[in-house]
Amino acid sequence: MIAALTAVVALAPAPTPLHETIDRLVAAGHAGPFAPPAADAEFLRRATLDLAGTLPSVAEARGFPADPSPAKRQTLIDRLLAGPGYARRMTHVFDVTLMERRPDGKVARAAWEDYLRAAFAANKPYDQLVREILAGDGADPATRAAAKFYLDREMDPTLVVRDVSRVFLGKNLQCAQCHDHPQIDDYKQADFYGLLAFVNRSFLFPDAKAATAVVAEKADGDVTFVSVFDPKKVTKATGPKLPGGKAVDEPKMDKGKEYKVAPAKDVRPVPAYSRRAELAKRITAPDNPAFARTAANRVWAALMGRGLVHPLDLDHSDNPPSHPELLDLLAAEFVAHGYDVKYLVREIALSQTYQRSSEPPAGADVPADRFAVAALKPLSAEQLGYALVQATGTADVDRAAAAEATVAARLAGLGAAVRPVVPGDPAEAAVEARLAARVAPFRSAYGGRAGTPDDGTAPTLDQTLFVKHGGTVRGLVAHRAAAKPTDPGATADELFLAALTRLPTADERADAAAALAGPDKAAAVGEVLWALVASAEFRFNH
Amino acid sequence: MRDCPYACGTVAHRVSRRKFLGTAAALGAGGFANAAATTSLAKAQKRVLVVFLHGAVSQLESWDPKPGTATGGPFRAIPTSVPGVHVSELLPETAKRMHRLALVRGLNTAEDDHGKGSELMMTGRKPEPGTEFPHLGAVAAKLLGGGDSALPGHIQIWPHGGGGFGAKDATFLGPKYASVALGDGKPPPDLVRPDGLTADADRRREDLRKKLNERFAKSRRSAATEAYTESFDRAERVVRNAEVFDVSKEPPALADRYGRHDFGRHLLVARRLLEAGVSFVRVNHSNYDTHHENFDFHIEQLGEFDRPFATLLDDLADRGMLESTLVVVMSEFGRTPNINHLYGRDHWSKAWSVALGGCGIQPGAVVGKTTKDGTAVADREVNAGHLFHTVLTAVGLDSRGRFHPDERPIPIADPKAGPIAEVLA
Repeated sequence: MIAALTAVVALAPAPTPLHETIDRLVAAGHAGPFAPPAADAEFLRRATLDLAGTLPSVAEARGFPADPSPAKRQTLIDRLLAGPGYARRMTHVFDVTLMERRPDGKVARAAWEDYLRAAFAANKPYDQLVREILAGDGADPATRAAAKFYLDREMDPTLVVRDVSRVFLGKNLQCAQCHDHPQIDDYKQADFYGLLAFVNRSFLFPDAKAATAVVAEKADGDVTFVSVFDPKKVTKATGPKLPGGKAVDEPKMDKGKEYKVAPAKDVRPVPAYSRRAELAKRITAPDNPAFARTAANRVWAALMGRGLVHPLDLDHSDNPPSHPELLDLLAAEFVAHGYDVKYLVREIALSQTYQRSSEPPAGADVPADRFAVAALKPLSAEQLGYALVQATGTADVDRAAAAEATVAARLAGLGAAVRPVVPGDPAEAAVEARLAARVAPFRSAYGGRAGTPDDGTAPTLDQTLFVKHGGTVRGLVAHRAAAKPTDPGATADELFLAALTRLPTADERADAAAALAGPDKAAAVGEVLWALVASAEFRFNH
Repeated sequence: MRDCPYACGTVAHRVSRRKFLGTAAALGAGGFANAAATTSLAKAQKRVLVVFLHGAVSQLESWDPKPGTATGGPFRAIPTSVPGVHVSELLPETAKRMHRLALVRGLNTAEDDHGKGSELMMTGRKPEPGTEFPHLGAVAAKLLGGGDSALPGHIQIWPHGGGGFGAKDATFLGPKYASVALGDGKPPPDLVRPDGLTADADRRREDLRKKLNERFAKSRRSAATEAYTESFDRAERVVRNAEVFDVSKEPPALADRYGRHDFGRHLLVARRLLEAGVSFVRVNHSNYDTHHENFDFHIEQLGEFDRPFATLLDDLADRGMLESTLVVVMSEFGRTPNINHLYGRDHWSKAWSVALGGCGIQPGAVVGKTTKDGTAVADREVNAGHLFHTVLTAVGLDSRGRFHPDERPIPIADPKAGPIAEVLA
């Protein structure tokens, strides 16, 4: 595999765009049939949810299918990637990837989201982002948020090792903590402890309870381990080492020079040589192929509904990728393009593979790992919240209210009518703040358990009651119901476009119009809109 | 609500001292008039009810009295319906039903903190790094299944509060088995159709939703979309079952026997839930954390507990439910034999008692013994792990089995312990 990877990297820039090669390799992996391309409306909805985390407006839902331009899908993708929704969506995706729905600990969600959003808005190279996260100690208030990965895991070495291996290396080494993995030959106990040696000297200072705790590190402390399966109980030792990598050749520190800041009472020790910083460097280094491979697989899964390696954290030789050559290529191109996440997202979104219909060809039973039919993806908690806010017209209500508040603030500003437009337009930030508050209850209802995010495939009673009777959904639906109704047929069209990004069928239009023809127009709009947002078609990105 | 005067400041104590309510009409010695209304409960389905005496009941004022000793306190021990077995005179009605119960008098759980003690008793294990063990209720709900019941399998009734979903007590078993909390025995939030949504409007919008789903399912379906669509049918069944929470459906005479006060009502709700197929219910009775005035407070608390609990045992027996329903009375630990200078008893986990009855339990059994002054276990010492095994075994489950979250084998109960054979039928 290493040889193949090196060969690809060594090639000159690919003569064909990556998205065409994706399609060629997926085509090579399946004899057919493949689903035809998705209809324009379906594509518009899918791309807007995947790349901007929300639904298209009614105007977009009307305009896009009618647009005669042959390049309109590419234009849409580029517009979405350039818009503010992209950074927000990526923030939500990587928040869940990195923090897995843990409740806030030492770093508040707002600061963490600001950090991620700025990174994705600037399209910060992914290796740089991860280096900041894994080298962070949280001591500098300006960059503290980056250390959330460690701080909110209380710098618990075994938890950090498990999650570093899963999130960045695609390997769940948890079962290799006490012995070599009983089912997976590739996962060795030495791998777990090799990683542990990078972080076992680190701890929270002054203590794990302090809300303002920072990561500290000692200059000593070595790792030994015994397999519980070993009848002789042989104790082994290991220095820091990545799974499958070489032992780190560590600098020898002269006695008395081990620390930049020596340990003392109430003093945070800082070693001259930091193993944790070494981890950040080694994980993201080009000679650690698991890093780019795992990142590429995770980006693919975010868009395609499942990984090429699946589950995402069980990459090993007995669980090979569905399309090995494709995964190698994605990883190599990701590295060749400077760990450019947006490039990878764009190329995948441009592929025919991504743009296929989710309707299976008649009579065909196609395995999901062939990517011959688009997956039905449950909306994430954040997608669901933003989609409801958009479909109910609440986003418009919030935009109007934020604009009004901004005007009022300017008027109150005594002559400061024209304020400098700072990066991150305050009006847009005010809208964002209102929308983010709307989404919080969805995160509570649909987030899942700390460390085990809900994947949306097994609905719970409280989630269903949240939609059926809950005040949050009722309040959102009321915004659209309060809008002035037009004639029943036109209102039906409007509601379908807002919620499902399509016009109703003749039957649906007749049903909805009949419901809307009743005496209480506002109540009828609420009923029809609720039925739309409670439908499976709304709940899934299809 | 005012803080209880004997509070030591932890969450377990943040409970008001409830008003003392008048006692209910005297219980008849025999069965109930409505015994014929026995349900067509699936005989095979087993259930568990835990009555948790919050704050920790005194074993000396309940199951293991030591009258006439320096630590015994002022109360007498009275004979029970089981010859030779005595309990505190604070439990006169329960004493008459001792033939339905078994006592474990030799618990040594070695954990004197309310939070940790509660966790220990509910998980049957000391915490281990890297593993969060699911609570008994989640384990029971998962392993017992719920039959055809659409109701959640794991329900807790709290003395007050709003109730709700999202408890973390199922850990790796998943949110389906996490407890649903009923504050004051009221239905969970959002279960009842809100004001402003008429039954007609609800039906209309549901009809539209179903039509939309039918159309979508013609072209696209997956296990996940099916599960989503099905979840609305399931929720609808729970909503239609909402009257299971409504004790006004019970005959007034029976409600009188349970007692017209919160705890009586909570036990009656619990029985209705169990009858409707809920696998595990825990009723919390507060508050027994009597660092001050232990004896007065136990007169009051157990005075409220005794009659409703005795009624519950009779009611379950009359309905033919007792043989399939395990009832457990427990706390986070016991109380110190030593009486402090405020006439209180403090936390004591070294020697205390738990009562069990019903499904799988040997009626009248008494296992374990404490020393004369009650400070230590003298015979047949057991811990929380043994009790956890015993509960699961009593309802026909294999407590030696394993769960496999993430392909990692985790014993269902502490492998270092086993069931207490002497209390099992």
